[in-house]
Amino acid sequence: MTNVARGGLGALGVAGVLALIRVLSFAPYTTERDAGAIVRLAWRARGERVRDCRHVTPEELAKLPVHMRQEEVCEGRVLPYRLVVDLDDNAAVSRLIHGAGAREDRPLYVFQDLTVRPGVHRISVRFALEGRPQAPEETGLATPPRLALDTTLSLVPRQVLLVTYDEEREQLVVRDGSTR
Amino acid sequence: MYVARRTLARADAGLNRLYGWRYNPLYHSGAIVLALFVVLLITGIYLLFFYHISAPYQSILDIDRQVWLGRWVRGVHRYASDAAVVAAGFHALRMFVQRRTWGPRTLAWVSGLVLLAFVFLCGWTGFVMMWDVQGQVLAQAGARLFDLLPIFGEPISRAFTGERPIPGAFFFLNLFAHVALPIGLFIIVWVHVSRLARPGLFPPRRLTWTVVGALTALAVLWPVATTPPADLFALPGRAPFDWFYAFWVPLAMAVSPVALWGVGLALAVAGLAVPWLTRPRVARRPPPSKVDERLCTGCEQCYLDCPYEAIAMIERPDALRTGKSALVAHVDPALCVSCGLCAGSCAPMGVGPAGRTGRAQLGVVRDFVAAHRPGGRDVVLVACEHGAGSITAAAEYDGSLVYPVSCGGNLHTSVVEYLLRAGAGGVLIVSCPPRDCRHREGPKWLEARLFHEREAELRDRVDRRRVRLVYAAAGERDVVRAALATFRSDVATLDAAAAEPDVDLERLCELTEAGATEAGAEESK
Repeated sequence: MTNVARGGLGALGVAGVLALIRVLSFAPYTTERDAGAIVRLAWRARGERVRDCRHVTPEELAKLPVHMRQEEVCEGRVLPYRLVVDLDDNAAVSRLIHGAGAREDRPLYVFQDLTVRPGVHRISVRFALEGRPQAPEETGLATPPRLALDTTLSLVPRQVLLVTYDEEREQLVVRDGSTR
Repeated sequence: MYVARRTLARADAGLNRLYGWRYNPLYHSGAIVLALFVVLLITGIYLLFFYHISAPYQSILDIDRQVWLGRWVRGVHRYASDAAVVAAGFHALRMFVQRRTWGPRTLAWVSGLVLLAFVFLCGWTGFVMMWDVQGQVLAQAGARLFDLLPIFGEPISRAFTGERPIPGAFFFLNLFAHVALPIGLFIIVWVHVSRLARPGLFPPRRLTWTVVGALTALAVLWPVATTPPADLFALPGRAPFDWFYAFWVPLAMAVSPVALWGVGLALAVAGLAVPWLTRPRVARRPPPSKVDERLCTGCEQCYLDCPYEAIAMIERPDALRTGKSALVAHVDPALCVSCGLCAGSCAPMGVGPAGRTGRAQLGVVRDFVAAHRPGGRDVVLVACEHGAGSITAAAEYDGSLVYPVSCGGNLHTSVVEYLLRAGAGGVLIVSCPPRDCRHREGPKWLEARLFHEREAELRDRVDRRRVRLVYAAAGERDVVRAALATFRSDVATLDAAAAEPDVDLERLCELTEAGATEAGAEESK
């Protein structure tokens, strides 16, 4: 092989690798198989917070360092809510939403994507306290025990419609990006 | 593994033919990654001046509008990050196929995997910074993964639901991570090469500039495409993705985050288990080098030549009593990869792995001569078992006797002299190309000992015209054939060298030992 041929082939090899890098760097990919749409349920709710308190026995107190001795210890938690969604009169979701965190003492986070065909859909969302609190704490700040939304949605292909909780109005609302 | 080794050998041979072994990019894949890190650092610093966390996508558009600089700097940044993944992949594959993954090399393998993870993480933050469609998909998929970790007070996914504008703090943290990760990356590079003496951190200058020039040309001629902006109220649809970093997105779309974590953890465990899976059984593991303290003259040559810093010079406890040198070589078995380069470096033949010390090599060559009787002024091929066109599988190649060695750097020059004195017309030593050596510096030291009088050098009395060193990788049998033909014809033109029957090499070694003892005694005085 002559030096010229070797140089030409070498340059061709470099060009090939560069072309491969360029192609793989911008290769198109379709993340959704069909051109559907999404109804996204996403919100944060404080929920109903309750406290379970108990008196500490003298024996337990004695085991604790002096500066940690409290006669009453309380553990707070957020009561679960049930999320129920009907789409075009069919049950789409029914699940219990617990407070976040290992002790369930953090707010409730709802995040659920519902894939739907583009077009007009009837949606019914219920977000309601599961059971009743025994001794509610800070009820004034809590999310209402029952939230509901009944509406008709019109979705175009690839659109994402957001159902979320408006804390100021204390109700579920629909947003489409233009109404943020 | 056999197929992978053959494929790699062919690829090496092909690229050696095109670019020569000095500039074969496969030999420099690890160093190319580091050179690309530097390119990324320089271009990244420039881009940082124009990036605004308050308007990430707009700032990318603004950079693209800088036709003379910004656009191609961004292109080089992007393509260099892609090329770094390619080079790192080849480097890891090479080490795996050549089984350079276990024993003292475990640290390099594991830190290499951590480096790769850092590269992917850094790339992930980089794509999210752009906040285009791909950035959105990567952010959302990544957030779903991280939300499974019980360390965040609030799910990260909430940031990307569209409930509220994405907080600026997110882009600030992302930018911070993108800038901070490379610092960690350079620290891990230091760990990666910490067990190497004289690590080859960068490729040859010509290759470095070729890589940088090629990426710049690509960025200018085929600029990075402008991708659609992120939109949380629209599905991404069909969009361009960078498959070097977004290769896991289809899987993330198809399976749950828990399953994706499972796949990722399984891959990580498999990668980390490689050193244990690839190490030979205890009985087949090559032994580490040992020092025969009676022969060590404290010259420090093995300590200087060891490519893995496995040899230290320590004080000889009985130096005063024995009259030997004050220092003696000491091998740390935990660092020794049994390359045997120390055996080639030791004139008095006092160090090396069992069976491959200079003395053991003299025994082997004596048996070889007795068995094959090289004569008729023919050429003996001394060939490295890892390269040399893989000719060591047979006893002869093209009519010449083949004398296999575990590494060119392990070869003691006395063996070459012995073969010539035994009647061989010439000794053609076929070593791996320097950057292809399994033991890093074998060919370099071999050449220095044969032709540049490095300690344990080939003696002056040996006719250098009858000794030749060529480099041939495992897949380059044609190179060996051509070199052999040329050398044969050159040797044929030489007059028969005058015989020196009174020189007894083995006796010479004994004399060297006695001389060393005397020298040691004088030193202690």
